[in-house]
Amino acid sequence: MINIKLIRTIILGLSAFVFFGCAGVQNPPTKASMFPKMYEEQPRSILILPPMNESTDAEAKDYYMTTVEVPFAMMGYYTFPVEMVSDIMKQEGVYDTELLYNMPLDKFYEYFGADSVLFTRIKKWDVAYVVIASSLTVAIEARLFSTKTSQELWQYSGTIVVNLSGGDSGGSLAGLIANAIGTAINTASADYVRYARLVNINMASTLPAGPYHEAYMQDQVTTVVHQRMRQ
Amino acid sequence: MKNKIKYLYVIGAVLFSGCSQHNGALYNYEDYSDDYYAMKKNMSEESSLELQKSIELSIQNSQNSRSKRVPPGMYANLGYIYLKSSRPKEAVSYFIKEKSTYPESAYFMDRMINKIGAMQKDVK
Repeated sequence: MINIKLIRTIILGLSAFVFFGCAGVQNPPTKASMFPKMYEEQPRSILILPPMNESTDAEAKDYYMTTVEVPFAMMGYYTFPVEMVSDIMKQEGVYDTELLYNMPLDKFYEYFGADSVLFTRIKKWDVAYVVIASSLTVAIEARLFSTKTSQELWQYSGTIVVNLSGGDSGGSLAGLIANAIGTAINTASADYVRYARLVNINMASTLPAGPYHEAYMQDQVTTVVHQRMRQ
Repeated sequence: MKNKIKYLYVIGAVLFSGCSQHNGALYNYEDYSDDYYAMKKNMSEESSLELQKSIELSIQNSQNSRSKRVPPGMYANLGYIYLKSSRPKEAVSYFIKEKSTYPESAYFMDRMINKIGAMQKDVK
């Protein structure tokens, strides 16, 4: 009996802390306070440009590109079909990301009728081997610009660090080497893509909801919680 | 007895609206993301066909989603696949569908449709 009471008290205390603890210390920023221009301009569509690859992995660009469309569409925006758009840009001779990222933004409205353009930079897309631990990192920086005013409407950076050395190497040198080899083999591009999707979902969740979402123009007070993701 | 039935209705309604509101994604993309990645990783006729299949499925099963709408870009994607395999008529019909589902795409879709029109004139 005493045990149950004690557990109840602890749970009650904990939930009270969870509910009130944070709010009391400081007010977390809201979507409206962080991204007021989204609510002023209310863009309906997002043109996702091919990513700028600043990582050491040349393949990252093609792979990351396949992960961006869905999470942003799920936030209620019309997202232009990424593959088709990039094909057409190639045909028009403007697929080079440097060129695209320096283009006057109203051009994207002229050609596609897009309200906003999403620029993404792959900052990190690698596996680091550090003596006994190895970790996979995917870091992305995303910025949304208006094609009408050229202003930045939203920006967010997301990073995920995944510890890959889950197994116990037993401390021996042979174990360490085996572990490192195992990691190298196990880190397929599919893993990067899986974690990049998580980063995207996390980043997109901070975006004020778009016109096809139930929360459109009703999420001004939703708080933006920055998550540093570790797995 | 009547009350009990009423309760059941209320519980049913709560459960039902609960599901449609909170469960399930805004759109049903089927395996679009995975197949798109697979195609980029290994460009082949097979991987392209897989992608086309998941696009068609996502159109077919759009009812299994919160919005009940075909996801953005799916009609356009399918139209573009038809265009690349020299079936402009089908392409245009899908571009029109994209446009009527998402007016935001009208400008781009009209551009594509006009392009196809011009191409066909050249052929003639």
